Amino acid sequence: MALLLRTLARQGVCLSRPHYSVFFRHAAPMGTTAKEEMNKFWARNAKLSRPMSPHLTIYKWSVPMMMSITFRGTGVGLSGAISAFALAALVLPGNYPHYLDLIHSLSVGPYLIGLAKIGLAFPVSFHTFNGIRHLCWDLGKGFRLPEVYRTGYTVIGLSIITSVAVAFFL
Amino acid sequence: MAAIVRLSSVCGRGVKPLFYQTTLLARPLVVPHKYQEQPHQLTARIHASQALHAGSASKAASLHWTGERALSVLLLALGPVAYFHPVPIVDYSLAATLTLHGHWGLGQVLTDYVHGDTKIKMANAGLFLLSTVTFAGLCYFNYNDVGICKAVALLWSK
Repeated sequence: MALLLRTLARQGVCLSRPHYSVFFRHAAPMGTTAKEEMNKFWARNAKLSRPMSPHLTIYKWSVPMMMSITFRGTGVGLSGAISAFALAALVLPGNYPHYLDLIHSLSVGPYLIGLAKIGLAFPVSFHTFNGIRHLCWDLGKGFRLPEVYRTGYTVIGLSIITSVAVAFFL
Repeated sequence: MAAIVRLSSVCGRGVKPLFYQTTLLARPLVVPHKYQEQPHQLTARIHASQALHAGSASKAASLHWTGERALSVLLLALGPVAYFHPVPIVDYSLAATLTLHGHWGLGQVLTDYVHGDTKIKMANAGLFLLSTVTFAGLCYFNYNDVGICKAVALLWSK
């Protein structure tokens, strides 16, 4: 979603040749920092009682947008899982192999274990591959809309293949 | 806003921004149409003016942005290292990088969705506490238990 906005903003800059002077007049005396600009934006939003931004429900859904949300979701989820793991290490009395044996002794069957492994491997691989995609954007590469979709589908494909391979063949 | 500024810095990479920075001072602020430059040069100049006037807060934000990217690359590199050399130093490096990456990432989410001075302060304090506990827990696990690398290997071997 942020990416789409960014892309649109960029196209806006490139396409709005006739409005240059307007844009330029705004840009030239820029003595404010990004933070001040943001504070102004929020003050205005609060004054006009505008809805929250980035807004989640007013846009038409698209693949890059869903990937963006999933990227953030997997990040928050993985971070939460790591924190839960660390907290468990601090408070639980037994050691790690003990609890692993406990889980193993439940004998849930190979398919459920495989599914659980995919459930762990997919968020990690998706966040990793999409993170690489983001790093490419940060280098200024891949901003054209067809590229955004192509790299997006590549990331989804790679994540699925990797998580299935890691879950069942490693 | 920040994204556009960042984007323009990417567009105007190289020696060009330096050049525009020096020429900007000598030019009038509003230029007639026919003297204006190509779009990418314009964005480069916006960035240059930003760099000229911005205070230390903006520089710190830029440094933080670069730090986040450097940390992400480090974390990417640590993956294969952890797989081929599951030694204690990698365990502790993972504990530090995972915690900091998560801390900064969640910080972005809080910046986006938590507003109001008091709420932001409380949220950031809570995040700091969470990250501290996480780092302590991971270090404790590395010291007293099998360590992060071996933990993943053991989990996967079952």
